[in-house]
Amino acid sequence: MMTTFSMKRVNAIFVKDWKDLQRNSYVLFTLALPLFFAAWLGRIGADSAEMISFPIVFALVIAGAFVQAAMVAEEKEKNTLRGLLLSPASVAEVFIGKSLLSGVMTLVVVAGCIWLAEFSVPSLPLFALSIVIALVIFLAIGTLLGLLSRTVMETSIIGMPVMLIFGMSSMFKSMITNEAILTVMDYLPNELLMNIWVGLESGADVGESFLILTVWAAVSVAATVIVYRKRRMD
Amino acid sequence: MEHIIEVNSLAKSFGDKLALKDVDFRVRKGETIGFLGPSGSGKTTTIKILTAQLAATAGDVRVFGEPVHLLKDPARMKKIGILTDNSGLYDRLTVQDNLALYADLYDVGKERVREVLEMVSLLGEEKTPVKKLSKGMKQRVTLARAILHKPALLFLDEPTSALDPTTTKHIHEGLRELNREGTTIFLTTHDMDEAEALCDRVAFLHDGEIKLFDTPQNLRTMSGSPTISLLLKDKTTVTVEPNESGAAAIAGYMASGNLLTIHSNEPTLGDLFVQLTGRNL
Repeated sequence: MMTTFSMKRVNAIFVKDWKDLQRNSYVLFTLALPLFFAAWLGRIGADSAEMISFPIVFALVIAGAFVQAAMVAEEKEKNTLRGLLLSPASVAEVFIGKSLLSGVMTLVVVAGCIWLAEFSVPSLPLFALSIVIALVIFLAIGTLLGLLSRTVMETSIIGMPVMLIFGMSSMFKSMITNEAILTVMDYLPNELLMNIWVGLESGADVGESFLILTVWAAVSVAATVIVYRKRRMD
Repeated sequence: MEHIIEVNSLAKSFGDKLALKDVDFRVRKGETIGFLGPSGSGKTTTIKILTAQLAATAGDVRVFGEPVHLLKDPARMKKIGILTDNSGLYDRLTVQDNLALYADLYDVGKERVREVLEMVSLLGEEKTPVKKLSKGMKQRVTLARAILHKPALLFLDEPTSALDPTTTKHIHEGLRELNREGTTIFLTTHDMDEAEALCDRVAFLHDGEIKLFDTPQNLRTMSGSPTISLLLKDKTTVTVEPNESGAAAIAGYMASGNLLTIHSNEPTLGDLFVQLTGRNL
């Protein structure tokens, strides 16, 4: 018997998550955080590449990874994920359905941050491509964190290093003198995103950054699939 | 005869602890089977293995004639319904929203939601958020969800454990109706009345082993010849054997108009379980 992908089942999970989101104050507050930062940076007139890019990267980490992690962890905590996985919905349908809402919300928050921080978008198609690849990375990391956490509260603890490394490392870069650490930091998704956006603005070559970002996406999706397979059984 | 479930030499261990030992049984199409046993006897482990939530350590498990690990295919999953002790609901969503999700996942019409809500006595609660329901009402929603798609095979883990007697009776009637329509039911319980009321055959599970597996009637008659108690009008009780002299005694009391009630003293399934294992359910 062939397993068929059903958009109806994906949509059912998306609609359920949408209805739930409207009553979930924790997630709504989390989604609003990057917008506050963006509005603040827009008002103080920040002009460095790091400062202007920060709200967008922060939106991707918070809305993409943190919200997705909280949603997956809550499904685990309340034993509802088990119900979905014991239904005709395939694993792919469940996780795509769950990622769809986080993805849409992340795009809305990113758009809001761009507007509030008065970020000028360089080369819309390539900028959009960088956001889509980043979305895959952070949704996969969020799913991974959700699978590794037993409760929603635990995602905050496990997710904190992720937020610091992937979301805020650019801000601490000027305080670090170790060359090796600085080199590693250059390969983090947030640094790559900033390279791409600055490069698009100045007309520099951004091919290598795109390539490394795509490798990040493939590795994070693969890691999530491996962790899911290891943890799907009791 | 078509077997819906076939289990051969099933074993499951968690570390050093053996939870199931050499378990063998078959479930025929259309049967209602009960697994009886106290907490920790292996009932839930059995259901989890039969629904591919847990891998067996050893043995062969087939559901619908195929290895149990193939159950995850959507077409196969549509044929089964599951209610376990940890079936979760979306607390912030309404009863209707919870069931509508599964109606879409199982591709059944929304009108079926109303039918199952009626069966579990929750009509009128459609718009209530699940977090505002009592524990028993939540259990009824999870049961409604498990039967929403009229599964060919229904697994129920302690289906009425948190319910009041009236709702339990209502749900038993609904399960009998489902069974009459062709659903094979596999349930675990430690409620003997539930097993007697619903099951064609019951298995006594103790320390991960099936001690007995037969019809409730056959199990009761296994423990020798039961006696008969006669309650007389003067409130005294007389016990007679089920033989010729007993029949004569009963006839005598009836003829004299002195007989109030007649009771069979055959053991309950609970008595048998204690006799067999030395443990209460």
